[in-house]
Amino acid sequence: MADWRDLLQVLVNGLMTGSVLMLPAIGFSCIFAVLRYPNFAVAGFATVGAFAGWVANVQWGLPVGLALLAAFLVAGAVGLAAEETALKPLRPAGPLTVAIASVALTLLLENILRFVFANDLRGYDLPVLRDWRFEGIRINPQQAMNVGYAVAAASALFALLAFTRLGRAMRAVADNPALADIKGVDPGRIARVAVFLGAGLAGFGGMLIGLDTSIDPLTGFRVILSVFAAAVVGGLGSIPGAALGALVVGVGEEMASVLLSPAYRTVTAFLAILLVLTIRPEGLLGRRG
Amino acid sequence: MTRYGISRRAALLGTGGAVASFAIGGRAFGQAPAVVFGALPPLTGAGGPYGPAMLRAIQGVVEEANAAGGIRGRQIRVVAEDDQTNPDAGVRGARKLIDVDRVTALMGTWASSVTTAVAPLCWENRIPLFTVSGADSITLLPHQGFIFRTQPNSRLQIATGADFLIRQGARRIFHLAAQSPFAQSSQDVLLEKFRAVQGGAVAGYIVYERDKTAFRSEVDQILRARVDTVFLNGYLPDVTILLRELFRAGFEGRRFTPAYAVNQTTFQTLPNEVTNGVVTWQPSPDVNSGAFRRLQTRFGNVEVDPYSAQTHDHATLAILAAAQAGDASGVAIRDHVRRIASGQGEVVDNVADGLRLINAGRAVNFDGASGPVDFDDRGDIRGTKFRYERAENGRFVVMEIT
Repeated sequence: MADWRDLLQVLVNGLMTGSVLMLPAIGFSCIFAVLRYPNFAVAGFATVGAFAGWVANVQWGLPVGLALLAAFLVAGAVGLAAEETALKPLRPAGPLTVAIASVALTLLLENILRFVFANDLRGYDLPVLRDWRFEGIRINPQQAMNVGYAVAAASALFALLAFTRLGRAMRAVADNPALADIKGVDPGRIARVAVFLGAGLAGFGGMLIGLDTSIDPLTGFRVILSVFAAAVVGGLGSIPGAALGALVVGVGEEMASVLLSPAYRTVTAFLAILLVLTIRPEGLLGRRG
Repeated sequence: MTRYGISRRAALLGTGGAVASFAIGGRAFGQAPAVVFGALPPLTGAGGPYGPAMLRAIQGVVEEANAAGGIRGRQIRVVAEDDQTNPDAGVRGARKLIDVDRVTALMGTWASSVTTAVAPLCWENRIPLFTVSGADSITLLPHQGFIFRTQPNSRLQIATGADFLIRQGARRIFHLAAQSPFAQSSQDVLLEKFRAVQGGAVAGYIVYERDKTAFRSEVDQILRARVDTVFLNGYLPDVTILLRELFRAGFEGRRFTPAYAVNQTTFQTLPNEVTNGVVTWQPSPDVNSGAFRRLQTRFGNVEVDPYSAQTHDHATLAILAAAQAGDASGVAIRDHVRRIASGQGEVVDNVADGLRLINAGRAVNFDGASGPVDFDDRGDIRGTKFRYERAENGRFVVMEIT
């Protein structure tokens, strides 16, 4: 590495990459915390959100902020509907069955989108802005805004969990479902809220990925490995953990592409999982047991 | 208890379905069985923008051939599988086509990685594989003559592209390649070409994974190398992101890319200020040939991509070869392709005329939509032209066809 600027640039790049992984990872962890199964359909929800945002932004001419809201709502609604119709009936068969069904659900969602929108790449109605430069460090305005959107959405979720009755109920179910049930918290309702929020955040994140790149029916699928890695590294079921995990995986991937040959970049996700789980099996912010 | 009820019903439905399918299948007895060809284009994945049209071109030829009486009275059926631009899916698709559908020719594989994975299945089962993939290594496989490639190999493509760049004044080039079987051979050719000119150098070479969504660090390396040209040797989704990143970073040099990586879709995805000046090159279909014009009419006078032109020729070659042989087996098709693709026979540019002449016992020489389709001993195509275009305000302007 040439000097501190290169290192700083890699860090900035990593934070940008991590921030777009953050919301799908939080969504994944949010669903896991309450329902105790890994829902790989967040890849599909991310793609659904990206396309919903595209329709809102390009076809209806809504500004990006509102399109992101549309991405959140549509992905959340699709996630909830899919959970209720496809995954919930499988819950008695155990988490592994539901996890496998969620992979199938991703393929289904991806192909429905392909049927409606075809394979073409699509971009949002946004100008492509030139980078800002500070002391030779490149930061793109759009990417900086994406970080802002991601942080805002994650903060809103933290506030919901920390300061509202609903948030407390969700945390109670995540901590101890049996006890929460005795205390009169309806676990079914909390599960639905968790799925809606989780899928919605994945959709929001999917649109952020699209704002940075472009979208096609594989948008969510391409990042699911990194998203999964982020959730595992952070500690499955821990929402702050997922946010931190996403940043670790993002910086790790960028760092790897400078230190290693870029072809090995995806390996970093696996290496991060391996390393963290070897040293701290519960993940960075996860709880033992 | 309910569970038992459902499974009984399912069993009943299943049995009913099986009986019905036997009944339907039974009707086919008594006619000569159809000749079955397999199509394995990329309907999804990075090749997704091309696969559907490639399949339509094949189906079009088959419809035309069936209307003209088929192969010596036997109708032709095409079974298609999606290779997903992914070797695993390609192999699954090919196995299904070969083992279940019993196809006697496979056509339309697009990505070199898919073709490389599928090819051994073809030669082991003794059926020909017609492909549009460019990697040099493909026809160097021990394929016993079962591979026919209508795309010039990547060595020829890259060498032609490098000569063009050097003519345009490029000296310091950065090669950014997607992980693929042609990345390294492309690099070898670039090194050879640029070292041979005064002041020429390949100042950087990176191979990246195709499914990546962020290329910031790669772009940093390009900027650091201070090159006059960057060669984006990737596919449509990744090159779209790369062009955006290069623009954001303020890269002012020449951007050169295969035409399959930047097309009309790119103009809908990226603003013109980002795409303006991008130079693409590709083997050119024979746009003045009768076969190409007919294909264009069939497609509704829209732009016909070179791959559809090639798969049109794949289907025509397989049908005419089987007709010439009087036998639709894989080996017979392999042995007769060159006989109808080159030689002294009467020149035909469509399947119906070809079948008519062959049925009348006359020799034919098929000239296709992609070019004269003459194959050398390894199965590589000869005599293809190249077309260079520059993106200007949302459309391509032809720079030269040579």
